[in-house]
Amino acid sequence: MSLARRGQHWGTFARIWHVYDAKWQDPYRSAKLLKDYLMGLYKPIYHPLNDCGDHVVVINSKEIALRGDEWRKRVYFHHTTYHGGATWTLAWELHNKDPTLIVEKAVYSALPKNLQRRHTMQRLHIFPNNKIPKDILENISNQIKQLRPVPVRLDHIPKEEVDNFPQLLKYPKDYVLR
Amino acid sequence: MAFLCRYIKQIGKSLITFEPTRNISLSATTCLREITEKKENNVLTIEAHYVPHKKEHLQLKLDSKACSLCATKLNVKHTDVLILSQFLRSDGCMLPRRVTRLCDVQQKRVTALVAMAQKAGLMPNLTPKSSKKNPKRRRDWKKFNMYFDEKTIKNRYRNY
Ligand SMILES: [Zn+2]
Repeated sequence: MSLARRGQHWGTFARIWHVYDAKWQDPYRSAKLLKDYLMGLYKPIYHPLNDCGDHVVVINSKEIALRGDEWRKRVYFHHTTYHGGATWTLAWELHNKDPTLIVEKAVYSALPKNLQRRHTMQRLHIFPNNKIPKDILENISNQIKQLRPVPVRLDHIPKEEVDNFPQLLKYPKDYVLR
Repeated sequence: MAFLCRYIKQIGKSLITFEPTRNISLSATTCLREITEKKENNVLTIEAHYVPHKKEHLQLKLDSKACSLCATKLNVKHTDVLILSQFLRSDGCMLPRRVTRLCDVQQKRVTALVAMAQKAGLMPNLTPKSSKKNPKRRRDWKKFNMYFDEKTIKNRYRNY
């Protein structure tokens, strides 16, 4: 086996660590994307019986964005198995308690429901902010592209750009500025 | 006879509401007006003066009779705050159609897009005085990031 071929062999079977910035991303749509990396579905050598899944590090999970009114409409159900032990928690209440749980539950339910699911979940690392422990950070070698661009607030755009932006609105004569 | 009667009536009307025709306009026509309030020792002075239009050289020159958004064929998203902020007053209120000169569909679309951008906290500097400027300091679910799908707007233009 030549040296190049040996390197290719190595790269094929090595576990890759990906980082994903969840800032302003929809967790439920991101989960479908992260699932492919966690299970190794994108690899040509994929087979459900070979263990070729990668690690995914999700950062800024506190800054996720839900669509429309989902923060107050999406409900998480939990039952303690005791009488009257059912609880219904709204998405924003859950996010107040633990900012990583929504992403974790989204990925967990996006994965196929089999015995491998809990082992695949062990390869997902979620952090509420952009601080990653050093031992995890030194493994990371790839970044997953975000699904939608991060919107910029109007007061964060430099003043020069705001002042020189082409104008669509033409004020009528004698308009009183407010 | 009827024509003569009408003619006399018209002369009579013009005599009652007499107004001299003026050929000189007192204000420069390209100017905008601004009202300022000053308070000094319990004396409130309200002043109105003319200000030149600062961004006149940045105006797009369009050779179309359609409204500015239809003529430019822009697919405006709720994150395009630089475009949406042009149709707003300084307190974040939408300008009327008389001022924006948009067509009916686009005016309703822009109104919906502005509401989306404000809810997502993308224009916190264009809000009423009483509002919390930082969207992170809002209450309950409002402090978290949210985004919107433009397909949910009822008023469609060119299927977007
Ligand atoms: Zn139009």
